[in-house]
Amino acid sequence: MINFSSNLSETELIELAKSGDRKALSLLVRMHEKTVFNFAFKICRDRDRAENTMQETFMSLVKSIGQFSGNSKLSTWLYTVVSNHCLMMARSNRKYSETSSYDDDEVYIDEKSVVDWDVSPEKITENNELKRILDEAIQKLDPEYRIVFTLRDVEGLSTEETGKITGLSVPAVKSRLHRARAFLRRELNGKLAS
Amino acid sequence: MENSQVKVTCSEVVRHICDNLGEQLNSPKCLAIKEHIAECPDCSKYLNSVEKTIDLYRQYNFEVTDDVHSRLLDKLGLGEKED
Ligand SMILES: [Zn+2]
Repeated sequence: MINFSSNLSETELIELAKSGDRKALSLLVRMHEKTVFNFAFKICRDRDRAENTMQETFMSLVKSIGQFSGNSKLSTWLYTVVSNHCLMMARSNRKYSETSSYDDDEVYIDEKSVVDWDVSPEKITENNELKRILDEAIQKLDPEYRIVFTLRDVEGLSTEETGKITGLSVPAVKSRLHRARAFLRRELNGKLAS
Repeated sequence: MENSQVKVTCSEVVRHICDNLGEQLNSPKCLAIKEHIAECPDCSKYLNSVEKTIDLYRQYNFEVTDDVHSRLLDKLGLGEKED
């Protein structure tokens, strides 16, 4: 009998799960569910869809853990499944198509209008109005941009890993990231400037 | 020490990613950008705003509630019977 309270590595847990160990599988789920749920929420922008995406993602994991290769990271795989699932839902739900304005390169070159917000992030989270403004700005980002921005800037992944997950080249990741950042900045800036 | 040969404009600072998550932090271009930022209030305000946006967004995290967790395990056929 394996003692699960000892610190089994993720790789060991995956091996156990592959051989049908349900406890190991549950532990893997427990280890990653918060990340998966929050990432799904940040991309899908809806709690129910995020929960649904999380369930689908882990169902795929349960189904295909047998083929999971030891040299890929589980988190990378999970991010990929969530991204694809959210993009699929977004595409079948085409209300996102009227959003963009980041194909216009000039959009973010208006340095002179930048406002430096003298508000600490802690204060900002207490402020529902600012929360709402930020939320609306993120909502307007096209999901494909939102994914790149979230993976790299929020989850802190490397450009290469972000590219792997999204199937984009490194320059494409950088360009999307930049446009997403600029778009968010411009949106917030416009709303917060007095 | 030596002044970098590369000159950058504000637009390039805005366009080019050389941040702490990134790579090539010591390329001539990134060094020039760093110098530019240190001397240009507009660009440092810009980058500061970007940072704050990201900080805000990072704070958007939910706990997975017990409800959500057990619905997930049920869905996976791993329903909790703690042993
Ligand atoms: Zn500048």
